[in-house]
Amino acid sequence: MKFAEILRGPWTIAVYTYREGIRKKTLLGFLILSLLVIFGSRFISSFLDPSAETDIDVKLIKDICVSAISIFGMLITVFISASVVPGEVENKVIYTILSKPLRRWQYLLGKFLGAQLIIIVNLLLMGALFFFALYYYQHVWPTLLLWSILLTYFEFLIVSAFTFAVSCVSTSTVVPTIAGLFIYITGNLTEYLKDVQNRAGQTGSGWTPWRATSPSGCMRYCPTSRISASRCRSSTACPTTRRATSRSPT
Amino acid sequence: MSTAVKTTKLSKIYEGALRGRDVHALKALDLEINEGEIFAYLGPNGSGKTTTIKIILGLLFPTSGSLEVFGAKNIHSAAVKRNIGYLPEGAYYPEFLRGEEVIEYYGKLYGLHGRDLKRRLDEVIDLVGLAHARKRLVRSYSKGMRQRVGLAQALISDPKLLILDEPTTGLDPIARKEIRDILANLRNAGKTLLISSHELLEAEMISDRAGILYEGVLQAEGRLDELLLQRDTALEVDGLTPELVEKSEAAGLRVEDRLGERGKLRAPEGLSAYDAIRRCGELGLKLVSVAPRRETLEELFVRVIGAAKTSRSA
Repeated sequence: MKFAEILRGPWTIAVYTYREGIRKKTLLGFLILSLLVIFGSRFISSFLDPSAETDIDVKLIKDICVSAISIFGMLITVFISASVVPGEVENKVIYTILSKPLRRWQYLLGKFLGAQLIIIVNLLLMGALFFFALYYYQHVWPTLLLWSILLTYFEFLIVSAFTFAVSCVSTSTVVPTIAGLFIYITGNLTEYLKDVQNRAGQTGSGWTPWRATSPSGCMRYCPTSRISASRCRSSTACPTTRRATSRSPT
Repeated sequence: MSTAVKTTKLSKIYEGALRGRDVHALKALDLEINEGEIFAYLGPNGSGKTTTIKIILGLLFPTSGSLEVFGAKNIHSAAVKRNIGYLPEGAYYPEFLRGEEVIEYYGKLYGLHGRDLKRRLDEVIDLVGLAHARKRLVRSYSKGMRQRVGLAQALISDPKLLILDEPTTGLDPIARKEIRDILANLRNAGKTLLISSHELLEAEMISDRAGILYEGVLQAEGRLDELLLQRDTALEVDGLTPELVEKSEAAGLRVEDRLGERGKLRAPEGLSAYDAIRRCGELGLKLVSVAPRRETLEELFVRVIGAAKTSRSA
């Protein structure tokens, strides 16, 4: 069998999964909600003090929009990835599909690709609106946003793959949805937990000052004084900070 | 006549979580379905009908035994699967797709595309009577229309074998009649139909052969005219006076109903219709109608399952 013929089945399933998924009202609801947040961010920024930094309102809009894309996009990702297979098992659609000349891996690949198509289109729609909204406020094309959307998609891809894998061995959508949200929340909490650990000033086995540096080499928390690095750096009495900052100044 | 489906000592055991909790769904099933016939696959719930169908479709693997579909032992090959159409019981179809999109989707999974797909799509939509609603979303369809979509998707590749699980359950009488006509036309077109059903009257109307499964064992199998026994004879007579009522009863003709001198008599099992008519003549009754009554499929079903239950408990 030719490679194109092998992929024809999965591609057909992906296209029709996408077609069905994109017409679901739940997705449309998430999309509309995220659009409201994107455009509502302008309203929130109007409450800022006018004497504050000139670009702080744009920064706030960016933060809100990126968060909206991330949260609503993630909800769409988890919802779609958790439901595409168990939904078809529940209503017996899977029997009619697997009775056709199609391997199981082809079916699963098709479903996964279909879910990715839905996620990508939703992300692009939200991203495009955000892109034009920012251009409208700033009058500069926010090209960095494109990279942000691409990296956000990779994050979604990981969560989607995990949720989908769980959904393949689950008979309901509840377990994979919880699993997907769990992996997303846990993944996002990691940095925060590291910060909590550093704030607590733990000096357990294996902990060394250079481990407390950020990827750029800058100390975030001073292990000696247990205050933030920026404050500690001003104090010349702190040898640890001096050492760290002299090794990789920011 | 060549064989469409043949199973030899086919067994399926669903392993339970605990030892001793295994379920023997099929026990050395020997089944033959000939090409071009409608085979009614009957049995109470949990008798193993759906398990057999799933094994034929390659959705389940048998524990032991062998299976041939149109002579091919590799039932998972694309060539075999292209020749099988399947309508599951109570299945739903993608709700947010249009009727024609669903059928087109399944057609593409069968490997159809381009003009062939378009032609078959139009043919099956006309065949199942869905032309007026082909552009509507499936979620707006009635149960009967969904069943038509199911039938259309099973027929899209023009398969030689159709496996239908409860094709008429939940449909109104007109829809049932239409589905029955479609199935009869398919049989006339040379298709083989395996119908699993609890609707025994429907099955009796359309099938050529039947098999009754109970606890994974085929209890009875054969042509319907061989399986169904000749039962009593119903007679309608005129001139049934009160004196003749007693004489009729004495002659073995039970009076079931009487209105004036018109009455309905029932000749007992074993007495031929000819003998029943002769006795009416001897009594001086005027014969209006005679209806030799054959055992119904429902009666056969109850008899066979009853016998199986008795032999199991014995």
